[in-house]
Amino acid sequence: MNRHALIAVALWILISAAGFIAVLTYDPFPIAAAEQATLIDDAFKLLTLLAVPVFAMVVAFLLYSAFRFRRSVDGGEDGPPIRGNNKIAVAWLAASTALTIAVIIHPGITGLNEIRAHDGKPVDLVVQIESSRFAWSLIYPEQKIKARKELVLPINAVTRFKINSRDVIHSFWIPAFRIKIDAVPGIETTIVATPNKLGNYDDNINFRVQCAELCGLGHAKMSIPVRVVEKEEFDEWIAQQSPVQ
Amino acid sequence: MGALSGLRYIARGLLLAAIGLGIGIAIALAVTQVTGRELEEPAVAIGYVFALIGWLLGVGVWGTWAKEWLDLEPKDQDDPGWRRYFGFSLDHKVIGIQYLTTLMVVFLLAGILSILLRIELLDAGENFLSASNYNTIMSLHGIMMVAVAVASIIGGLGNFTVPLMIGAEDVAFPRINALSFWVIPPVALLLVLSPLFGGFDSGWTAYPPLSVINANGQLLFLLAFATFGLSSILGGLNFITTIIAMRAPGLTWGRLPIFVWSIFSAALLSLTFTQVVFFGLLAVILDRVVGTGFFMADQGGNALLYEHIFWFYSHPAVYIMILPAFGIELEILSHFSRKPVFAYKLVVGALLSIVGLSAVVWAHHLFTSGMADFLHIPFMVVTELISIPTGVIFLSALGTIWLGRLLLKTPMLFALGVIFNFLIGGLTGIYLADVVTDIQLQDTYFVVAHFHYTMVGGEIFALFGAIYYWFPKMTGRMYNERLGRIHFVWMMVMYNVTFLAMFWVGIQGMNRRIADYPADMVTGNVIVSVAAFLLAASFIPFVYNMVTSWKRGPVASANPWGARTLEWETTSPPPLENFKSPPVVVGDPYGYGEPKSRHIGSQPLGAEGDGD
Repeated sequence: MNRHALIAVALWILISAAGFIAVLTYDPFPIAAAEQATLIDDAFKLLTLLAVPVFAMVVAFLLYSAFRFRRSVDGGEDGPPIRGNNKIAVAWLAASTALTIAVIIHPGITGLNEIRAHDGKPVDLVVQIESSRFAWSLIYPEQKIKARKELVLPINAVTRFKINSRDVIHSFWIPAFRIKIDAVPGIETTIVATPNKLGNYDDNINFRVQCAELCGLGHAKMSIPVRVVEKEEFDEWIAQQSPVQ
Repeated sequence: MGALSGLRYIARGLLLAAIGLGIGIAIALAVTQVTGRELEEPAVAIGYVFALIGWLLGVGVWGTWAKEWLDLEPKDQDDPGWRRYFGFSLDHKVIGIQYLTTLMVVFLLAGILSILLRIELLDAGENFLSASNYNTIMSLHGIMMVAVAVASIIGGLGNFTVPLMIGAEDVAFPRINALSFWVIPPVALLLVLSPLFGGFDSGWTAYPPLSVINANGQLLFLLAFATFGLSSILGGLNFITTIIAMRAPGLTWGRLPIFVWSIFSAALLSLTFTQVVFFGLLAVILDRVVGTGFFMADQGGNALLYEHIFWFYSHPAVYIMILPAFGIELEILSHFSRKPVFAYKLVVGALLSIVGLSAVVWAHHLFTSGMADFLHIPFMVVTELISIPTGVIFLSALGTIWLGRLLLKTPMLFALGVIFNFLIGGLTGIYLADVVTDIQLQDTYFVVAHFHYTMVGGEIFALFGAIYYWFPKMTGRMYNERLGRIHFVWMMVMYNVTFLAMFWVGIQGMNRRIADYPADMVTGNVIVSVAAFLLAASFIPFVYNMVTSWKRGPVASANPWGARTLEWETTSPPPLENFKSPPVVVGDPYGYGEPKSRHIGSQPLGAEGDGD
């Protein structure tokens, strides 16, 4: 028995090592162009690093058992009558509980607090987003302008989006910022992003507002480009937009 | 003549359904004359209610219930041979096979729909389907597969095997059992007809206001889903009562096969939570048909309310799907490893803990919905706590096969596949339970891949394992082992390629439920589509194997696996009354390697006595 367990554990370590190398060397994410994006990607990476040894352990014991303990013919004698093992069960429960609590605390609660760091506090820029099938219309209330073709944001400005819907449920999502919140008729939802990389849709498709909640026929195409620019360029752009009463 | 007479109950049902539809439309006409509201949808809704009643009366409620109540001669015998499957049989074994074959047809149809979707997604742009057709086909694929996932194990395998496994003659309420199957054909019919009424473009989730303002096809969907809910509620009630009240003498709760425990857990969820979604769907129907405005903000309603009601059912529903799959997995692992289920009592505790926890996690589907912020942390915490009882299932699975004597026949291969697939399904769930990562991943293909890993990789693999496992008991014949293994290897490989690639596409930032996507994402989508086509082809050997083996496979013995639960103690297939004499249980069914351990007290008459 000990020899079986030793080989399986060795296999576990091997698969884990391969998993760690893969996670640490390969970056699967689209461009991260906001502080919140980095935070979310880091949380994703951390969860993956924690998942690797769990995955590896089950796979190691599964594969070892399937190959080592197989019998080729029907019949023959039964396996050993092991109905349980209190030590292993307690260790298993303790380990899975500890891991679960760890993940709840970090990146769970800590991440949520970070992503909400600006809640209830003044921000650099407010943009009101009105969604309707199948278009986004933008109002910059402090700048007193409106726009429909493009969402332009100054770099490093903490920006609060206030979102509502005129018809059905939509979802306001900017993949490059990793932020998403539904647009719900009758209520105003908010989300904050701090763009920290210059960029635009023509260079990278993740710079776009995309509807992420099925809203009917034009859902897939309900998107507009996003452009993150320097402050001066932003001011010039504002000056060119039509004013709102 | 002989063949046609087998279909007479269905013909009678259709005739009475047509008459019912006429009566309902006439009533709706009369009412709308008085109130002056427009006609179309009230007529469909009221017409459907009467058509459903007509269908059920015609197909068998009249012949069994009503005739007995009216002191007429009730129908007391099934037609012989295959014709019994086309009538209102009260035999749980017939009903189980009716469920299973009907839902297998639905499964294959919904699979073909997914192929159409994947053809469209081979390239960016609109190529093959219009956006409207894409939305309807995607929505149909979703709801049909959900129906398969909810009902095929409980309704199909549960019906066939649970009474046998607990040594009962039938379920507690055989007529309600028949009723819960015969409301399924109208569900399928409504869904199939919905494209003719403009389809529905709201997915299987049907969030209002979209589902209140869109085409008439949506109403057919809502009626279908609500009817399906009735079936689940009645089924849940029946299984709970059967398992509590009909167990053989000596079959205590501590000796109950783990599959029966898992069905009991799922039945608790099914009875309790389906009633909630039934109300939710009814409210959407009322919003459409009579303009109640439950979910319409401009009438003082609340769109978020529906999301809460919907997921209050639909999250427990995923446990209705997966708990019986865990039961099948552990059952097969034990009998094919010839070892007891490891940590049996802890597993029962885990199943019941999941039942409890599943009631309080629904809002993790709403992290980006705009619900109040203070709800996020509590729902994240309880959702992640589910990892602990789920982990116990893995402990038991690995503990059961460890040092066992594994016979890698087709059922066992599928059970081992469930461990691997559900591991990925479970671990990727953590990213969605974590609010921060969910903000990005919600509504992307990451979610799609995740729930396919739990529902297909977990449940559907267990379903196939179980079909192979109980095939000899159901049909009295053996399936072809070589074809079974080909099916497993083919499906396992192509399944994993399809959905692992789908995770990658999701992480790259592709959102779900779209007919068109940015051209940058073509590579990943081509991999997913091609693998999905090959995955679909893996069901060809399955269907061929089932059909030919059922017709002329080698005759199966009573207990071809040498398994120890009660269903293997009677003939294959079992007689109408299941056991020639009622069995008495003296121990649990997992006493492998314990020479003195016995599950059954006296060998019932009529068993062939091989195996064991």
